[in-house]
Amino acid sequence: MAIIVNLDVMMAKRKISSNELAEKIGITAANLSILKTGKAKAVRFSTLDKICEVLECQPGDILEHV
Amino acid sequence: MVNELTGWSEMKSLKLSRFLVIGLFFLLIVILFTAHIIAEWFGIISVGKGLIRGGLVAAVTAMIYICDIFAIIAVYHLHKLLSNIAKNEVFTAQNSRCLRIISWCIVFAGITFIIFSLWRFEFMFAAFFAMFLGLVMRVLKNVFEKAVELKSENDFTI
Repeated sequence: MAIIVNLDVMMAKRKISSNELAEKIGITAANLSILKTGKAKAVRFSTLDKICEVLECQPGDILEHV
Repeated sequence: MVNELTGWSEMKSLKLSRFLVIGLFFLLIVILFTAHIIAEWFGIISVGKGLIRGGLVAAVTAMIYICDIFAIIAVYHLHKLLSNIAKNEVFTAQNSRCLRIISWCIVFAGITFIIFSLWRFEFMFAAFFAMFLGLVMRVLKNVFEKAVELKSENDFTI
C-alpha cells in the first residue's frame, strides 16, 4: 500500500510521548504502535479526528501517499 | 452468557462437547481393537448383495480399520478446535486448517465406503452421507476462512 503514516514526525514536533498520546486519543499503546509501524489496515475517522485534535494538525500532516 | 430458562451457559456447553469428543475418542479406540469381532458379526447377519462374493469379513475388517483411523484424526482435530475455542481463539488460521483436515477425513472415509460397496451395496448409503457431511464441513471451512480474514481486518483497524 502506498500510504505512509508519519505520526512519529508530528509527535516529535509536538514533543508528546506514545503513551501520553495513546491516553489522550483513548486507544491502547499497542494499537498506537500498530498505527505507527504501518501495520494498520484502516484508520477510523473518529480516531483520526482525535489524533488531529490532540496534535493540532491536519490529516495530511500524518498521512502521506507515495 | 447464561440462558435464563435452562441455566445452560456457553462454558458448560463447551465442556459437554469436549466430554463427548473424548468419549468418542475412547469408543474409536475400542472399535480399533475389536474390528475383527465387529466384522465377523457383520458377516453373520449381513444378507445383502455385492459384486464380490468372497472375503467379506476381511474386507469389512480392513474398512473399519481405515475409517477408524480417519475418524481418530478427525476427532483429534475436533478436540484441538474445542481447546482453541475454550482459549477464546476462535477465528484463527489454525482452526480453519483443523476444519479442512476434518472435511478431507470425511471425504476419504466416503471414498473408502465406495470402494467397499463392491462387497455390499449398502455401503453406498454410508458413502453418500459421508460425502454430504464432507461437503458441509468444506463449506463451513470456507466460511471460517472468510471470517478469519474479516477478523484480521477488524483487528488492524485502529
